[in-house]
Amino acid sequence: MANHSQFTFQDASSPIMEELMQFHDHTLMVALAICTLVLYILTSVLTGKLTSNTADAQAIELIWTILPAAVLITLALPSLRILYMMDEINEPALTLKAIGHQWYWSYEYTDFKNLTFDSYMTPTTDLPLGHFRLLEVDHRVIVPTESTIRVIVTADDVLHSWAVPSLGVKTDAIPGRLNQTSFLANRTGIFYGQCSEICGANHSFMPIVVESVPLANFENWSSLLSS
Amino acid sequence: MRGLLAKRMRFHLLGAFLVSMGAATLYKFAVAEPRKRAYAEFYKHYDLMKDFEAMKAAGVLESAPPK
Repeated sequence: MANHSQFTFQDASSPIMEELMQFHDHTLMVALAICTLVLYILTSVLTGKLTSNTADAQAIELIWTILPAAVLITLALPSLRILYMMDEINEPALTLKAIGHQWYWSYEYTDFKNLTFDSYMTPTTDLPLGHFRLLEVDHRVIVPTESTIRVIVTADDVLHSWAVPSLGVKTDAIPGRLNQTSFLANRTGIFYGQCSEICGANHSFMPIVVESVPLANFENWSSLLSS
Repeated sequence: MRGLLAKRMRFHLLGAFLVSMGAATLYKFAVAEPRKRAYAEFYKHYDLMKDFEAMKAAGVLESAPPK
């Protein structure tokens, strides 16, 4: 989860999120270069006394057309690379269905046995010490580590969005539509997210918690719950 | 008195370009590359089971309560 004053990304827990962080660094670097350039030129213009009466300057016009086009290509290529990487055929080991309701999520693991449960936010009055306010749920989404998970996201009533920033996942939950996404959790851990599409009074109070554990532990848990 | 603006512009446009490239390079080597290295270092010696056992002992996992 994010710290109280955090404005940067949460630590990446999936390969796609790592790629996205690197792409963000690359884009911010380009933005920094452009802003520095503009600020320098602006300062130079404002502090100078010389004026220009040039009406026609072909060389500089060519430069300030070609250079921005080159910058855009520098941004587009890594962006498309990651976009296509996210859509690669990756043969998921597990399929999980996430269904958005007002105002909770329900999950279905129906690959092998019929395991379904609802996931409600833990009210602050019932929150144990050390737990995170407005982020904890009664039943977490348990997934095996280092396995590709396919998530089918939909909604029962209004628009919702299933988002887990640390895993680089955000998928809209639209009634009557199945949206697919996939992720791979690189490490053991607990990853928090919140509903990311306005859905009514308790939109801020239907969080998502993904708990990534070794495969053996996941199998124990799922057989315990589906028995 | 000829070409005073052109001379100043040439100097400062080159200067602006160099400063902006410098800023970008500084960001790359002060932020972007250390971040990549930090992730590589973390995963180089990462022990999934050890991490799991530590979390289990701390009692933070729903699917693996501490005994």
